[in-house]
Amino acid sequence: MIFYIARRLVWTLVVVFCVIGITYVVFYKLPAGNPALRFAGKSPTQQELTEIEHRLGLDRPWYVQFGKYAYNFFAGDKYGWPGLGYTFASGTSVKSLVFSRAPRTLLLIAGAAVLWLVSGVAIGVLSAVRRRSLTDRFAMGFALFGISTPVFWLGLMMLYIFWSKLGWAGGTGYVSPADSPTGFFSHMILPWVTLALLYAAFYARMTRNNLLETMGEDYIRTARAKGLSERRVIFKHGLRASLTPIVTMFGLDIALLVGGAVITETVFNIQGLGYLAINSATNQDLPIVAGVVLLAAVAVALANLVVDILYAFIDPRVRYA
Amino acid sequence: MRRYLRLAVLAAALVALTAMAAGCGSKKSSSSSNSSGSSSSSSGSSNNQGSASSPSKSYDNGSSTKGGTYTVGWEQSFGFTDNFDPTGEYLGNAWGIYVNLLMRPLIGYKHLPGAAGNELIGDLATDVPKPTDGGLTYTYHLRKGIKFGPPVNRVITSKDVAYALDRLADPKDGGEYGFYYTVIKGWDAASKTSGTHISGVSTPDNNTLVIHLTQPTGDFNYRMSMPATAPIPPEVGKCFQGKPGDYGRNLISSGPYMIAGSAGKFTGCSSLKPFSGYAGANGNHISLVRNPNYDQSTDQYRKNYPDKFQFVINSNADDIFNKVEAGQYDDEQSSPSPKTLRQYATNPNLKKRLLPNVGDRTWYLTMNLTQPPFDDIHVRKAMNYIIDKQSLRLAWGGAIEGQIATHIVPPVLYNNGLAEYDPYGTPNEAGDVQKAMAEMKQSKYDPGHTGKCTAGACKGVLMIGDTRSLDNRMIPVIQADAKKIGITFTVRQINGAYTTIQTTSKNIPFSERPGWGKDYADASTFFAELFDGGAIIPQGNTNYSLVGVTPAMNTSKKLGLKGNLNNVPSVDSDIAACQKKLAQDRINCWEALDKRLMTQVVPWVPYLWSNNVTIVGPKVTHWNYDQFSDGPAYSLVSVKS
Repeated sequence: MIFYIARRLVWTLVVVFCVIGITYVVFYKLPAGNPALRFAGKSPTQQELTEIEHRLGLDRPWYVQFGKYAYNFFAGDKYGWPGLGYTFASGTSVKSLVFSRAPRTLLLIAGAAVLWLVSGVAIGVLSAVRRRSLTDRFAMGFALFGISTPVFWLGLMMLYIFWSKLGWAGGTGYVSPADSPTGFFSHMILPWVTLALLYAAFYARMTRNNLLETMGEDYIRTARAKGLSERRVIFKHGLRASLTPIVTMFGLDIALLVGGAVITETVFNIQGLGYLAINSATNQDLPIVAGVVLLAAVAVALANLVVDILYAFIDPRVRYA
Repeated sequence: MRRYLRLAVLAAALVALTAMAAGCGSKKSSSSSNSSGSSSSSSGSSNNQGSASSPSKSYDNGSSTKGGTYTVGWEQSFGFTDNFDPTGEYLGNAWGIYVNLLMRPLIGYKHLPGAAGNELIGDLATDVPKPTDGGLTYTYHLRKGIKFGPPVNRVITSKDVAYALDRLADPKDGGEYGFYYTVIKGWDAASKTSGTHISGVSTPDNNTLVIHLTQPTGDFNYRMSMPATAPIPPEVGKCFQGKPGDYGRNLISSGPYMIAGSAGKFTGCSSLKPFSGYAGANGNHISLVRNPNYDQSTDQYRKNYPDKFQFVINSNADDIFNKVEAGQYDDEQSSPSPKTLRQYATNPNLKKRLLPNVGDRTWYLTMNLTQPPFDDIHVRKAMNYIIDKQSLRLAWGGAIEGQIATHIVPPVLYNNGLAEYDPYGTPNEAGDVQKAMAEMKQSKYDPGHTGKCTAGACKGVLMIGDTRSLDNRMIPVIQADAKKIGITFTVRQINGAYTTIQTTSKNIPFSERPGWGKDYADASTFFAELFDGGAIIPQGNTNYSLVGVTPAMNTSKKLGLKGNLNNVPSVDSDIAACQKKLAQDRINCWEALDKRLMTQVVPWVPYLWSNNVTIVGPKVTHWNYDQFSDGPAYSLVSVKS
């Protein structure tokens, strides 16, 4: 097992290196315009442009820039490890900026993940157990609604109803739990629910389908024949086996949301990582965008690793040599 | 491995695609002035042709009293170009904060709307000096006793202004509009070597600053009203030498407010820590509090009612306007949606808080004088006749978005001169096919004199557009109009189209994207930057039409132009002549140049002089527009405590 994890970690490093290469090309080589122009005012002279390009490190050959970029990421720069450089706009550390925004996104994801996992699996189980009943139809109707509803629309509706009209929620913006735990919950509950609804719908459908398929297996029939209670058959034998793909999806969904919850962050004015990346792209602040992309990619790679390890605990058929 | 690589690449690509869907904007454009427009008319579509009167709407709701916090919701991000460091900052919204609240340049404004807001006054200087020595010398006398805020806490001297100019000239300190000051003697030398003093700037005593120019420059006092020329204490500024932008987090106030956290005593660079009220361009707030060293008796025009100003980033424009309506914000730097505009325009209780003001900005279609078919003046004139400007304004959102433009520079910069001038007037400004065809008949691209361009050069002409919803509404109007005179476009919409059209080697014939706003209230800020052939550069070029370009210039500047470079008209000598004039002579000169450009050069189809539309909250008791900064006059606003 330890050898397996070590091998996977090495592969993860290779993946991250590849991502650095792609990130570098996408953000530094492909953009049509010269980022230096943004900081050059109107009608810049060539001398001014050259000075800015030098300041931003854009005047060196691409392979030197890339080599330094990759080296700094792995070895760290003057701001520490990982070396993500400095922002074009303010000349401050990208790492500290990204890390200051990360708690917002991670807390958004964590709260939403709990909600969608609990509600999605519960609804899926209920729906599978009571197949073709009114409950099943209602649950799948919920799933269809969740999948079909655009997040931005749902978010705005939530705000309109629960904040603007009823005054039950704290509204937009982010309140740190350290400053006010109640303020934190009242501001986060709507984004949690909004983000969770989409995923809960997917999880409900997936759980239902997996569970229905599992419940048709021979070993389920054997379990029933042994005289086990229906509850035990469903939860110990049926649900456990059908959870494997759910765990896979859960890990990846969480990782993808590290940089991908931008719509929810924007609608609720949370200003987390996704919003930071988009906003920085608008302002051609490439190091920030690249930093967020890199961290999101690392999160995906690590989530895969964790998921694969978890398989061994969930599914007895999986063993790592 | 392959699966992980694929997933990681997918994640990177998703963010990358989203990122590339974003774009860059023009310099010094405020969020409101770059408004996205709306899909429906919010205030009707009346033709305002001939009306020089620009909306100049202020707001009063009770008496102004000291106290309270004035909170401004700021959409998306601050968008600063130099991290709020006044030496290089080129964002109009930042200028509004500087000159109203934080800084006192030698020359200032009354912070009023309209032409009165463009009148110069002495701010740090006792008055606006008249040039001597044949227009080559300007002598400024400083008001006595004005002090820097904490942690510097000392009296401001002329050396602090001289240092601000040195810093602006220093190639390593990030100045973004040094070109306005190249007329100062010794500027060029200082701009070549870091740390060099400008020889043409002298300080005979602590209260006098003398500036020698190399040529008469009629708008030089305007140039000395720019935030980069406001005093900077050298002992602090030198802590940031060669680190453009860093001073923004330690900006030392000379105005009525200061960045929160400015405190203590300056004992050396190591004693400076970034002020807590501003976390940098990537941060999400600016907090300003009263400067304890400010002396109201030295300042006739700022009233400084609120105790505190808060500028708060909010990612959601709808949320900003909800908070304005709910009184949580008092003001906004955002673009109201069509729904919000309708709501305020139609509700009598809300309408008084909907405040359109002239934005001193012209939006136009640009035609490249070197590219067929626009290398023929008759085609360019025909385009001016055929374009339905009324429909373009509707695409923006209707009359509330501004006045239909009929020439280059907004009339307010001519003190409302040329308000009636409309060389290509058509009924209701909706275009005139007959007049357009009459022009086209004279073109070499209509050899049969049919009134329609029949040459191949008119088919599939490349038009560069942006990808905003506004562009999606404008482009079909332009295509349909041009087709009436035989011109068809191949449209390429690019996110951040400016970068493309500002690169001369792309040889872009036509674009619907450009807009241009003043830097200060003189028409030279249009003509010198947009039409001076000498200012054409390969990257970042703003003379999109290439007025004044020559084959020699193409070679020497490596512009990469491919087209008809012979006999491109030039207005360089006209610009140079106007630059030397003063007062009304100067205005008259610019007006004549505007007419010449519109009739003898015809580089544009100007279609809108846009407004800045502001919505203020219910707690505001006074609000008015500051014409210089094209935004709120923060120094005059007030709120209920």
